Amino acid sequence: MMAKAGAGHRGQSCYLAPVRIEDWPDEWQEWVALTPMERFRESEKIFAQYIALGGSLDPDPDPTSPFDNPSEWNSNAAHGRAGLRVLRRGAS
Amino acid sequence: MGGQACVFYGAAQVSKDVDFLILAEEANFKKLHAALDTLAATRIAVPAFDPDVLARGHAVHFRCSAPGVGGLRIDIMSRLRDLACFDELWMRRTVIGDADGNEFHLLSVPDLVQAKKTQRAKDWPVIEALVSIHFRENAATPQAQWVDFWLSEARSPELLVDLTARFPAQTAGVLVSRPLLALALAGNLPDLRAALDAEVRAEQDKDRLYWEPLKREMDAFRRAEREEEARHGAGN
Repeated sequence: MMAKAGAGHRGQSCYLAPVRIEDWPDEWQEWVALTPMERFRESEKIFAQYIALGGSLDPDPDPTSPFDNPSEWNSNAAHGRAGLRVLRRGAS
Repeated sequence: MGGQACVFYGAAQVSKDVDFLILAEEANFKKLHAALDTLAATRIAVPAFDPDVLARGHAVHFRCSAPGVGGLRIDIMSRLRDLACFDELWMRRTVIGDADGNEFHLLSVPDLVQAKKTQRAKDWPVIEALVSIHFRENAATPQAQWVDFWLSEARSPELLVDLTARFPAQTAGVLVSRPLLALALAGNLPDLRAALDAEVRAEQDKDRLYWEPLKREMDAFRRAEREEEARHGAGN
C-alpha cells in the first residue's frame, strides 16, 4: 500500500495520466501543499487508521518485483491478497 | 530511502514498510544489529543478513515484533543499481528535522528518482510525482542543476513541453542525453508519450538484467535454506 500522487494508467501506458499538479484532485493538492514534516505526521495517522482497520503489512503481490515470492512473504495472506487475513484454514 | 522518503517529498501518502540504505562497515553493522534487536526484528525472507550479500546488491528483509512496531517490515540495502556509493549519496542527502530534535535522513530527490527506476510498474508514477512536485516547489527560483534535473527526469508530457519552452538553452544541453526533448520542443504530444513509454521499457529491461543473477542467487539461497531445514528436521 503506497498511495501515489495522481497515479493512473491510460491503457498500456507506463506513465501517469498527463496532468499537471494543478490538475490533481483536491486531496492531493492539499497533500502537496503540506511541509515534509506535516506529510510525515499525517502519514502516521493514516497508517495507524489502516492498522486499526486490520490492514495487512504484507507486501502487495507484485509480479513485476524481483522480490515477489508470495509463498515466502505472505504467510498470513488469503489467496495472495495482502488485505485479507486467514482466520481459519480448512483442509483444502 | 523508499516509500517513506516519498511520503516526505509528497509523492506518496503512506508506505507499509521502511527501507534503509546503510553504510556497509563493520562498526555500522554492529549498530544495526543492536537497532534490529531493539525492534525485535527477525529476517523473513532470503537472503541472510550478510555484508557480502548486501554488497552484491541484495536486499535483506526483516519483520519487527517489538511493541509499537509489531508486524512492520524493514528492508535493508547497501547498494543500489546505477547509484553512487553510500558516501556520495550521504553527502547529498536531504535532512528533515522536527521540533523534538529528531532527524530524518533521506536520499536526495534526484537520487531517489534514480533508485525508483526499477522494473516495478508501481515505481514509475512515483518518479513522475517526485519530479513534478520538485518542479512546483522550486520553479520560482530555478537553479541550473535543478533545470537539468527536471529536463532529464520529468515524465509528464505537458510538463516537458512547458520546461523546454521555458528553458530552451538548457534543453539544448540535455537534448543529447535525452533526445525525446525534441518532441517536447515541437509540442508533439502523441510521439512524446510513446517515447516516454519506450524510455520506461528500456530502463525496466536494464533493471531486469541487473536482477537476473541476483534472482538466481536468491533461488539458490531458498534451496539451501530448505535443505538446511530438512536436515535440521531429520536430525530431531
